[in-house]
Amino acid sequence: MRHGKYPLLLAFLLPPLAIYGYFVVSPYAQTFLVAATDWQGLSPDYNFVGLDNFKRLWHDEYVWNALLHNVWLLLLLPVLTIALSLFLATMLNVGGRGGRGTVRGVRGSGIYKVVYFAPQMLSVSIIGVLWTQIYDPRGGLLNGLLRAVGLDGLAQVWLGDPNFAFWALLAVMVWSNVGFYVVLFGAAMQAVPRDIYEAAALDGAGRTRTLLRITVPLLWDTIQVAWVYLAIIAMDGFAIVQIMTRGGPDFSTDVVGERLYDTSFGESKFGYGSAIGVVMFFLTLSITVLALRVTRRERIELS
Amino acid sequence: MSEAVSTASTRPATRARTRVGRGALVDGTLNVFSHGFLVLWALMTALPLLWAALSAFKSDDEILSDPWGLPSELRWSNFSRAWTHGHIGLYFLNTGIVLLGSLTLTMLLGATAAYALARYEFRGNRLIYFAFVGGMMFPVVLAFVPLFFVVRNAGLLDSLPGLMLVYTAYSLPFTVFFLTAFFRTLPTAVSEAALIDGCGPFRLFFRVMLPMAKPGLISVGIFNFLGHWNQYLLPVVLLKNDDKYVLAQGLAALAVSEGYRGDYSRLFAGLTLAMLPVLVVYAVFQRQVQAGLTAGQMK
Amino acid sequence: MSVQDLSRRSLLRAGVSTAAVAGSAGLLAGCALGDDKSSDNSGNKGTVSEKNPLGVKEDAALEVVVFNGGFGEDYAKAHEAMYKENFPKAEIKHEAVVEISKTLQPRFVDGTPPDVIDNSGAGQIDNGGLVSQNALAELSPLLDAPSLDITGKKVRETLLPGAIETGTFDGKTYILNYAYTVYGLWHSTKLFTDKGWSVPKTWDDHIALCKNIKAAGIAPWTYPGKHPRYMSWPVISTAIKLAGPEVAMAIDNLEPNAWTSDAMKTAADAWYQIVKDKYILDGSAGLDHIQSETEWAKGKVAFVSCGSWLENEIKAVTPAGFNMAVTPTPSLGSGDKLPFEAIRGTAGEPFIVPAKAKNELGGLEYLRTMLSMKGAKDFTGKVSSLTIVSGSADGVQLPPGLTSCVDVLKASGSNGFNWIYNIYYRKLERNLVDAACGEFFGGRSTPAEFLAACQKGADSIASDTTIKKYKRS
Repeated sequence: MRHGKYPLLLAFLLPPLAIYGYFVVSPYAQTFLVAATDWQGLSPDYNFVGLDNFKRLWHDEYVWNALLHNVWLLLLLPVLTIALSLFLATMLNVGGRGGRGTVRGVRGSGIYKVVYFAPQMLSVSIIGVLWTQIYDPRGGLLNGLLRAVGLDGLAQVWLGDPNFAFWALLAVMVWSNVGFYVVLFGAAMQAVPRDIYEAAALDGAGRTRTLLRITVPLLWDTIQVAWVYLAIIAMDGFAIVQIMTRGGPDFSTDVVGERLYDTSFGESKFGYGSAIGVVMFFLTLSITVLALRVTRRERIELS
Repeated sequence: MSEAVSTASTRPATRARTRVGRGALVDGTLNVFSHGFLVLWALMTALPLLWAALSAFKSDDEILSDPWGLPSELRWSNFSRAWTHGHIGLYFLNTGIVLLGSLTLTMLLGATAAYALARYEFRGNRLIYFAFVGGMMFPVVLAFVPLFFVVRNAGLLDSLPGLMLVYTAYSLPFTVFFLTAFFRTLPTAVSEAALIDGCGPFRLFFRVMLPMAKPGLISVGIFNFLGHWNQYLLPVVLLKNDDKYVLAQGLAALAVSEGYRGDYSRLFAGLTLAMLPVLVVYAVFQRQVQAGLTAGQMK
Repeated sequence: MSVQDLSRRSLLRAGVSTAAVAGSAGLLAGCALGDDKSSDNSGNKGTVSEKNPLGVKEDAALEVVVFNGGFGEDYAKAHEAMYKENFPKAEIKHEAVVEISKTLQPRFVDGTPPDVIDNSGAGQIDNGGLVSQNALAELSPLLDAPSLDITGKKVRETLLPGAIETGTFDGKTYILNYAYTVYGLWHSTKLFTDKGWSVPKTWDDHIALCKNIKAAGIAPWTYPGKHPRYMSWPVISTAIKLAGPEVAMAIDNLEPNAWTSDAMKTAADAWYQIVKDKYILDGSAGLDHIQSETEWAKGKVAFVSCGSWLENEIKAVTPAGFNMAVTPTPSLGSGDKLPFEAIRGTAGEPFIVPAKAKNELGGLEYLRTMLSMKGAKDFTGKVSSLTIVSGSADGVQLPPGLTSCVDVLKASGSNGFNWIYNIYYRKLERNLVDAACGEFFGGRSTPAEFLAACQKGADSIASDTTIKKYKRS
């Protein structure tokens, strides 16, 4: 294949590299440069201020507050989503048990999968707008349900109360992600030989035991990837916050991404906003590396 | 479907007779409980979507006073108001135009880059590959500020072609990642045979390899289609003129401006209109869609 | 799926290598900073004449962007038509948007802003920021030009007293706040007459009335929980009436402990009663301004705090015969420095001409059109709002709410007061005081905590060296 290799390489690699370099790599890199200025974005004037923005950032309690929420998301979103997805996927794929210890999917599993996966089809703006309406204190689905079953006392101003707003957002994030991981884990479970489950069933292992002792170890690699992806979503979280609460009430749902956006485009402090971006960049990077280290574990080889 | 038939015989009562011992009983109760949970989650997923669709037919008063009630009549006019006054129609058109360009470009550039990376040895191959793939790791919001200026400097601000290029650029990481893996799995024997027959490298790619990679292209195509259709953040930064808005962005804007007018029925109608196409596509191609979206993350 | 050959781990490793590549390669690409391609607008100059005192180029296009909120956009179309009458060759581009900042801020950065902007609404661009970065045209040429249709007077001389103060920063006027806005407590005179209630003039009357209202099955108060700053207005007004305009001056000038002064404490303590005694409609915390005002218009609530744009904003949901009216905040007692009649009246609805506007003179000329008697009367007639043009409401048929505004302004006379910290430091009101109000009127913080939170916000602005400070006296 050596002959005529370079014309093809040039023709095939240069255009995508050019577009990628210009629109993706260079903006990420420029964030670092802007972060060292006091540029305010309504005029072309700026000064280099070195690390001043980072020093300010260190003392900026609004950034710390936002970061704290990202950390909470980082802890809760992957755990809740993965646990729920694993549970549902187990029920769907190996939940039914045949007469002689055979293991199969539960009845109607195909339909469940179709339904569960549906939120994955919707854009974050649809999800955000839809759930804002569901949480509406008066005309919303949730309070309507609570009132209909006589639990009026539990009806809340979900997004208007700092005690609930964060949890309401977390619930939306879990809701919109679970279906995807149910299907992902389901596909991974299909790859596990049936007889492993059937042997466990014959040994009298209950479902919980089977899930923890067999499914989780065998799916460990998939779970690990899921964790990393969910962690990245948790570090971000910007879009849903921007649409649903803009960080309020009383900054109770603020996340770093929203700080970045609000500081840059709201207060037009682009230098400072970029500094927030740089910090976020390194945090995301460290979390990815950390995830790689922590979840490193011997694979269970099948066959 | 054979699954469904055979599990029909595993109802608790039947099983209690055919199997003896503690395990059977535990399984029986668990099954009711767990099946209940499956149903519950299905309701939690489907209800909000159905509720939005139903509310689209209600009057503003019905929406506010009786969230669980059915609409007293089918008010199709809500939809026409959303379509024209809410500009949903225009947003559909813009989204369609952008998608046409961005999807074509993404698939073309993604496939060629992936092919070069997968089937050719050269210095820097790994570096380029990882540079592409690493783009998946970082939230777009990080690049917001400079991206705006980069696009402005290219004179592409507030233009649909600009958005096409940016969508393409941000879709390349996953597309290259996925298709590189796919091209590596294709048998080398075919391409060698073709080369011996005097087929040039470009011809080989377009006539032989690309058709062979069709399943992979379809999967990643679906993935990108949904990604571009639902893209919200990039247009928010790059499109400022509301006659250029794409659907996801226009809907969020509609939700904000609704706050100034209190036209909830229009909002729900717009929401329903925006959800419908993807859900219909999904209903028809659900197997391919699920496979396409999950395949890349399996490995 | 038969994708193999690729370990999961390589994906993660890739993240690290991209970071490395980005670090080196990215800096080489075209840089975003400091590229000023702003237009040179000196070419857009026509000949100065009696009919054209600003020297507008007659065929220069004019781009107008207005906030599509309480006032809608029809009034602007009318002003544009008037401009076109005088400059028939000018092509006028009109746009009405809700999110001004999202739409226009990048265009400021880009150096290609429109010629006139109504920079208003929740999504407005920080006016103080625009001024401090020299992004706006100074308005003195306009103010010193002769009025379009009030003969023998400069534009400056046709305006209400204090009208340009809110747009003046360190002695220079950059912002034209066009609508004259009255802030107070709003009620339906029909509801009050039907129930036999009268407008409370003292705090004790107010609380006693709230008790009656609640007993009648109506919520005495509601507020927009998504923009709780609406409730900061009556609190500050109460304090100003108690201790005089110095209260507002201290707040505007970011003086230490301005928010925790005795007057503010007394006022906050008083207002805390409507929280404590549950005189606020349930669920208010989740409502936006339209939703809360709609509840009020439906007769489910007796009072809302709002500015005089209210009448136009909820025109569609206001029942016939509702007869809304504004009243000043109740007096705390006989020791108040200002009488009950004193009310907050101020110029609002900021119109700006960007310094880099292509047709800057046309932008100023457009403002001159707005400030003509004809333009102002048309505005008042269309959107039921007063303007800063003196006497422009005379002879115009006014709806009930606006009629009450004219009356209370007359009664208030020279006792009228105002504050402008919200214009100097947008973030202080829109984010910080806003959040504190949410906690206070949501019943989650005490008056002391509320004021401390406001003070903390003010202090954070005061100590932020990157924010330009303004003083008024």
